[in-house]
Amino acid sequence: MSFSGNFFAGVDVGSLAAKSVILKDGEIFATGLLKSGVNSVESGLSALNLALDAAGLKKEDITYIVGTGYGRVSAPYANKAVTEITCHAKGANYLHPTVRTIIDMGGQDCKAIRIDEDGAVVDFAMNDKCAAGTGRFLEVMADVFKVKLEDLGAIALSATDTVPMSSTCTVFAESETISLVARGEKPENILNGIHHSIANRIAGLFSRVGIASDVFFSGGVAKNTGMKSAIEQALKVTIVRPEIDPQLIGALGAAVIARSFAKKEGLWA
Amino acid sequence: MGLKTLDKIAAALQRRPFELEQLRKEGKRVVGWLAYNIPEEIIYALGLIPIRVGQGGDGRLVEVGARHISTKNCVFVRHALGQFAEKTDPYIKQLDLVAIDATCIQLYRLEELISFYFGYKTVVLGVPRNFATKEGHEYFRKEVECFTSKLEAFAGVTLEKSKLEEAISIYDGIRAAIKTLYRYQSLDNAPLRWRDVSSVISAGYNLDRQNYLELLQELIAEVEENLTESPAGGEIEARIFLSGSLIPPGDTKLVDIIEQLGGRIVGDDLWSGLNFFLNLEIKEPTPYGVADAYLDRVPHGSLPYLDLKSDGRLANLKHQIQEFGADGIIYHTLRYCDAFTFKAGETKDVLGKLPFLEIHTEYSGSDFEAIRTRVEAFIEMIKSKKEIAELV
Repeated sequence: MSFSGNFFAGVDVGSLAAKSVILKDGEIFATGLLKSGVNSVESGLSALNLALDAAGLKKEDITYIVGTGYGRVSAPYANKAVTEITCHAKGANYLHPTVRTIIDMGGQDCKAIRIDEDGAVVDFAMNDKCAAGTGRFLEVMADVFKVKLEDLGAIALSATDTVPMSSTCTVFAESETISLVARGEKPENILNGIHHSIANRIAGLFSRVGIASDVFFSGGVAKNTGMKSAIEQALKVTIVRPEIDPQLIGALGAAVIARSFAKKEGLWA
Repeated sequence: MGLKTLDKIAAALQRRPFELEQLRKEGKRVVGWLAYNIPEEIIYALGLIPIRVGQGGDGRLVEVGARHISTKNCVFVRHALGQFAEKTDPYIKQLDLVAIDATCIQLYRLEELISFYFGYKTVVLGVPRNFATKEGHEYFRKEVECFTSKLEAFAGVTLEKSKLEEAISIYDGIRAAIKTLYRYQSLDNAPLRWRDVSSVISAGYNLDRQNYLELLQELIAEVEENLTESPAGGEIEARIFLSGSLIPPGDTKLVDIIEQLGGRIVGDDLWSGLNFFLNLEIKEPTPYGVADAYLDRVPHGSLPYLDLKSDGRLANLKHQIQEFGADGIIYHTLRYCDAFTFKAGETKDVLGKLPFLEIHTEYSGSDFEAIRTRVEAFIEMIKSKKEIAELV
């Protein structure tokens, strides 16, 4: 098989998952997604190989690779590293050019990003360094209730009430949850409270950068329908749904940027 | 950048602790001071040796300080308390008196603690909250007068007008020289950068002031001799302006991250940086004249000022950003440094569309990667603005 050098890849190694996207002729050609391990280099390579296998390509067929996510600082397979903030902006812009605001909730942090019509970042804010309002926080909560992570949102949406959660600190929220269960509160109502508590915290991030339509939700937590609903209520907006797995947006943006770098460096016309 | 005078300054600094030991043996006395409004000119004019104290960056010293103060106190104050507690710093251990002004209330409390727990001889200079009023000026005049009396008693001499004039002349020279160095570091054709000037300011904490002034003048002459032709074009750079809580000697985390990621710091309005040297014009060589001049300069962020339109701190910030041609501002806040943390939002709003990044941090390495991501994205944002036509 002969290829024209028209393949570009983005590899996003996060704290909980490693993702990759390969672009061909400007279209998404293949993707890869797996749980990330302790070794970020191996995780990134594995995610890239998943996409390469799905596409029937070898690494040498890829003209340019951009690494992103926390694993970008150690990505020998990539030509360049770009932050996930810039990549999510480009990824969202690629799918929906009318997007001006992005909520990215990943495994270990949460970001509020404002972008312009070119997908360039104009402002952003990130949560503090703790796990509050992140995928890891929700993982802990799923574990407390002995339910699957992917079912958390649906359970929260089935609530008949919202039990206020005073803490979004992972450690304190876990003990508060146990107390609420012991008090007889229904799990779905507690989970609803947890989702709204996180959404209100995210609203605080947006007080610093502002909101403009369209609003886009990316990252692994964006798969959680209960979180989407809680954020829509907290921010009083309607969120645009990505057509692809929202966990892939960072890798997609990295692939889009890879194509730009290849062009700039004369590797692709 | 290989400037010989920078090496001379470093060598002088290395000798300084030994020099101080000798001078103390000869009967000279050392006054350590920290905060923003201590009039060093008066200390110097009384024949005392002023040493500016207060470093940062060492998480272990923060923990030492936290044994005597709440962990909800500013990390710089805890660090300073740790230094006073350990008394191993080559300068701290030679202090005969510690002078602290009450510009920052947490530093004022530090005075109480080092006196109570560790037996340091201290003197406090009150600073008015309503510093812009006539009453505030009157209060500060009396405070400086009282401060002078206490120092006179400590030194065993009376303040002479001629000595104060001489001191003012030296300090005016230092302030002018630092301003000149700041201007040069922001140029593309000068052989020194912000970090060099910052290290020169740090050296000035400890060196003999007359010697320091001579070294500064020598450095300026060497810089001027080594100015090159302005480079044409070149790589797109992100010119960063630093604001917010102080970045004292020893605290290099944020600066290291910015520079490692290709950002170029071109200016600051930190009280550990340029602000300390700005707009201080002593019109009359008396304690009253000194008091008025200190109160009229760029106000410290710890002092409340609620009218944003006439706030001298914000006006100065806007002016410096323009002066140094900054592309974006990194507003650095230290954990529990409430004054600057409170003012982050209003500062961002006042500056309008200028790219603005707030970094909230402390002296531990645990947030290194989180800060790195934010700063890297900020630099990408600035650079992409500059090269947008070439990108997607």
